Amino acid sequence: MAVKRLKFKKENCIGCQLCMQACSGMHEGAYTPSKARLTIESYYDKGGDLKFEKHICTLCGICEKECPFEAITVDEKVSVDFDKCTGCGICAEKCPQDVISIREGKAIICDTCNGDPYCVKLCPHGALQYV
Amino acid sequence: MLGYQNKMLRIDLSNKTYSTEPLNMDWAEKYIGGKGLAIKYLYEELKPGTDPFSEHNKLLLMTGPFTGTPVPCSGKLAIASKSPATGTILDCSIGGHSALKIKYAGYDAVMFEGKLDKPGYILIEDDKIEFKEASDLWGKGSHETETILSAEYGKEASILSIGPAGENLVTMSCINSDYYRQAGRGGIGAVMGSKNVKAIVIIGTGGVKVNDIENTTKRLSEILREDTTSEENMFIYEDGTTAFLEACNDGGILPKRNFSDTTDENWTKYNGEVLLQYRKGKRGCGSCGLGCGNFIKIGDAVCEGPEYESIAVAGPNAGIEDPQAIVKANQVADDVGLDTISAGDVIIYAMEMTEKGIYDFGIRFGDKEKYIEYLKLMAKKEGIGADLALGVKKLSEKYGGEDFAMHVKGLEYPQYEPRGSWGMSLAYAVSDRGACHMRAYAPNDEVFEASIPPYTAEGKGKMVVDLAVYNAVKFSLILCDFWPLGMDRMAELMTLITGKEFTEDDMNEVAMRVIHIARAFNQREGFTRKDDTMPKRLVNEALKSGPAAGQKIPQEAFEKMLDDYYAVLGWNNDGIVPDEILTSL
Repeated sequence: MAVKRLKFKKENCIGCQLCMQACSGMHEGAYTPSKARLTIESYYDKGGDLKFEKHICTLCGICEKECPFEAITVDEKVSVDFDKCTGCGICAEKCPQDVISIREGKAIICDTCNGDPYCVKLCPHGALQYV
Repeated sequence: MLGYQNKMLRIDLSNKTYSTEPLNMDWAEKYIGGKGLAIKYLYEELKPGTDPFSEHNKLLLMTGPFTGTPVPCSGKLAIASKSPATGTILDCSIGGHSALKIKYAGYDAVMFEGKLDKPGYILIEDDKIEFKEASDLWGKGSHETETILSAEYGKEASILSIGPAGENLVTMSCINSDYYRQAGRGGIGAVMGSKNVKAIVIIGTGGVKVNDIENTTKRLSEILREDTTSEENMFIYEDGTTAFLEACNDGGILPKRNFSDTTDENWTKYNGEVLLQYRKGKRGCGSCGLGCGNFIKIGDAVCEGPEYESIAVAGPNAGIEDPQAIVKANQVADDVGLDTISAGDVIIYAMEMTEKGIYDFGIRFGDKEKYIEYLKLMAKKEGIGADLALGVKKLSEKYGGEDFAMHVKGLEYPQYEPRGSWGMSLAYAVSDRGACHMRAYAPNDEVFEASIPPYTAEGKGKMVVDLAVYNAVKFSLILCDFWPLGMDRMAELMTLITGKEFTEDDMNEVAMRVIHIARAFNQREGFTRKDDTMPKRLVNEALKSGPAAGQKIPQEAFEKMLDDYYAVLGWNNDGIVPDEILTSL
């Protein structure tokens, strides 16, 4: 079976950021979008154009390849071995989606809620899909 | 209680100092947040007779326990003050992301007191508060102001700003956010202007804690699917409020030519079908589950919207049929910082005055270029705009036309014609901020679903109380109007988020407190039954066209509705809240 990944369709996005709230709620113990493991937002650029910004993990595997400490495994999801992770930040630097953050000396990466991503469940009109 | 930050930020503009204090949780239990809690605070803190433009008036930003959580449609912010348009209490509701940012910055509420000595803006960045110079922003439109401040603080910052209308103390000025969202009514932008505050920039990076967050998140995802985005609610995502245009036109409550008639045979020239052809995208507020916003561009006219109210007033009510002109009027009103409803009503009153030869304002029905030009003049109080900025009530006192001066207590009429929905005449009359359609909304029952006969006073007192109860809770939870959730659901959400058991009865009790205290505020300012009025046009002139043709509202019928409304609420026949209720608030 093909690996499922997060996909984003901007036509269906209303910029509500329920995805970021859901993510932080399931991982951080508080609804804290600034700590979400994805970023999706829409905004009016100078009032004249509706633009989108998205940062979602696509399971590309670059973080796994680049990690000098073999702390990251990417299969159906990303796992970070916190015993090995030194928080060096190379993964965050190399991530093409700019979706990895380093907090308290550890790499924080989307784990797709272990195959049942809540960002998708709270997305009202199917802008985020797990397919 | 969970869901709250239990903290209020108090900003003293006169001394450029600030402090934080615990949110009054006894009050929060009784009034929740949003509208209710904001009114409670102002009832306690504003002395009767306070001049709305004096440094003694306050401007209060109030969130609620759901703000910043994935409770669908919870992204709205209540902004409250004493209204310079009416002298009543004034609470507005604005979308966008500002409410969430305030909560993430760590506050449930922000109270502005005093007045800056010169134009400035306020930066709230988590626990850092700064008073900034704004002489270079003063005089600029809201849109340019937001663009300049966004460039400086990034798109993470949420911005509340006023246009020139607010600076010039025009009593129909709005506050803007996210370019196209407004706290529109009652001159809330002029209160901000009177304090020399051009903008409030909010950056919040913290979080909101709720009861049992994992299970709460799971339950909210179910509620989003089963309730919020259920099929019958999806029209608001698909069409936005343009859908109301068809419903109102078919129902005989779409006003035409300053409420002289209803039902426009040419409505297909500017309806949703036309406007949505120009849609460039969809946008909702933070935490929205629906997404009403249609981002529309027609030629050089751009806005998110136009919403039903703005279409109706700048369209059929002004005798204008050009969709581009309607969008442009919306864009200009937002940018100069005027409420599309009140400013539009002023212009259409001036059109009728000119047409009837009572006073020549130099504008007639259908004059679309002047409609837009007059908005700009009103914001600056220049030329004819200086007069028009007085609002419909004062203009009619000065120049006549009082029979068709469409307002209550000095707040101009929304775009639902009451002769086709009699309950609406009562709803406008008793609304706590003057003529407002968001305090009790009768057209659903009387027209769209037609479950209650529209052309009778019978049962309308109770009906309007029931509708007001529902909205009082909804806007104290500070939820969006467009999710028609039940009272049982509101109680369930309160229990979920706070971890404290709330029942439907509790919600009803909150509503009664909110309705009473808003009335108590106004009664302290001298408002009584004599101020709960209906424009004479509705009594004297029968509608000529549409499904409600032949209808007018006899004064006796209106008085009966008032009698019944007061009686249901336990107020006396003069509309006075008795002492035993006042002491319980």
